[in-house]
Amino acid sequence: MTARKEDKLVSLQQAAALVRDGDTIAMQGMGTQMSPLALVRELIRAGKRDLQVAMVVGGIGLDWMIAAGCVRKVMAIIINLDEFGMANNFRRAAEAQKLEVEEYTEHQILTRLGAGAMGLPFGVSRSGLGSDVIGLHPDTTKVIECPFTGKPVIACRALEPDVAILHAHRADRFGNVQFFPKPIWTDVDVFPRAAKKVIVTVEEIVENEEIRRTPIHTGIPYFKVDALVHAPYGAHPCSLFPKYNFDRAVFQRYADESRTPEGTRAFLDEFVYGLKTHDQYLAKLGGTAALKRLESWD
Amino acid sequence: MGTAKEYTIDELMVVTLAKAFTSDDIILNGTVSFIPVSAVLLARATHAPGLTWVAGAVGVDAQPGSVIGNTLDPTMWKGCVMYLPQYEDMWSYVHRGTLETFCIRGAQIDQYGNINNSIIGSDYHKPKVRLPGSAGMGDMGSLDKRVFIWSTTHNPRTFVKKVDFRACVGWLDGGGSRAKLGLRNGPQLVITDLCVMDFEPTSKRMRLVSVHRGITPKQVQEQTAFELVMPASVPETPAPDAEYLRLLREVVDPKAMRKIEFRGSATKV
Repeated sequence: MTARKEDKLVSLQQAAALVRDGDTIAMQGMGTQMSPLALVRELIRAGKRDLQVAMVVGGIGLDWMIAAGCVRKVMAIIINLDEFGMANNFRRAAEAQKLEVEEYTEHQILTRLGAGAMGLPFGVSRSGLGSDVIGLHPDTTKVIECPFTGKPVIACRALEPDVAILHAHRADRFGNVQFFPKPIWTDVDVFPRAAKKVIVTVEEIVENEEIRRTPIHTGIPYFKVDALVHAPYGAHPCSLFPKYNFDRAVFQRYADESRTPEGTRAFLDEFVYGLKTHDQYLAKLGGTAALKRLESWD
Repeated sequence: MGTAKEYTIDELMVVTLAKAFTSDDIILNGTVSFIPVSAVLLARATHAPGLTWVAGAVGVDAQPGSVIGNTLDPTMWKGCVMYLPQYEDMWSYVHRGTLETFCIRGAQIDQYGNINNSIIGSDYHKPKVRLPGSAGMGDMGSLDKRVFIWSTTHNPRTFVKKVDFRACVGWLDGGGSRAKLGLRNGPQLVITDLCVMDFEPTSKRMRLVSVHRGITPKQVQEQTAFELVMPASVPETPAPDAEYLRLLREVVDPKAMRKIEFRGSATKV
């Protein structure tokens, strides 16, 4: 799908409406880093259902979505909150068999997305040979013989998510998305290329001329972006390197309160359901001036 | 250089792992890997100045000075010469074997160094306990890495005869089974809160190398659910050199973040 060179700037609500129930969404994120959490909160408020979420590393946003009943299946390599421990709602849902878990090695899921990005039927990897991970999903990974050497390799079936959702540093209104530094993480790199639709939230909207002065920072061109949302601190409580670090206090609170479904519900009521807009979320945290405290990396 | 009389198990584990690293090593690390990253920084500050470390698999030759955050955080990339793009660059170097050394821990470790951090139970789809997932270990086990295993919970629940789910490939079923699959390298050393172990070269079964101060080989065997290869005599793990210990405490990990890894351990540090 090709997006035109036109104004893509929309509200969070309008962007969330592009995600349909049942969609496969590729969601940027790590345990505590770079995730489009303003949009995730909006997807939860919009009551999305039956989503199939593909990530490399799932973190706090995915745990919220699972708790809120948005997710039918996860495709990922690990889901946790880094030093804050387990993703408790993921754990409870999987143990109750209310969530389908399609576990991959990192290179397997990247190879699936890479094949999707190139329009190939599958890609190959050696990652996970001999492990039990391979047998989990014979529909998408299969050991085959290399046609040239006869050695075993793993065929990883192409994955083309319906939507990729990302948070980035800045963009112009056409959706030329820039990263500082340029894409480091795999999800920023291959997710948008593999997905049919791309939604990006950004810290800052700049003029097209500014993008043209600094094209070396552009990671996604306008023709791949369908919707753009201005959301300062849109990754909060995750970090957006190098602009701001993760919010330790909020993470610790969620790690503690999510030990029970009731605690999770109270947290979501306060930080998601009880706030109608991203502006209200920022105001709750004391405004963007107060969030400057997160700009230290020591 | 004298050896220290007063030290804790976390310090002994870091120094012992550091001593296993050399200037020829190219090491990358994953999340919540405080003991390996402390060992990397300590080795680089002492006997292995040429050691190459890619912090969090991103920050090439990073120089954060000390452990200042979680081991996967951007804060640890400080002073690096390059942010390694993950999709193309990092996975090229990992697949080809250029990045050769990785450290792994897990909820279950078996006698051949296969590791599980995915589920506990007999049916993957009906887990008794759902764990975070295989993450990088699922890749690194099969991609020819020299693997160093660490554990702060040396007990029969962690050191099991057979893992419930083989997320990370070690020596597979022992003997030549790993080589038969075409996989190079494999698990080298296991450092726990009780002892140091390696793998007997022919059978690839886990073998006791040394026991930490105050621990007997019998105690280690009692805390291990499979039969260890037991040499006739097992020495005590050498006490840390005083200078290594000073560097660890004052320079490498002054906030003692490595102790986070002892949550849930019977060993008090």
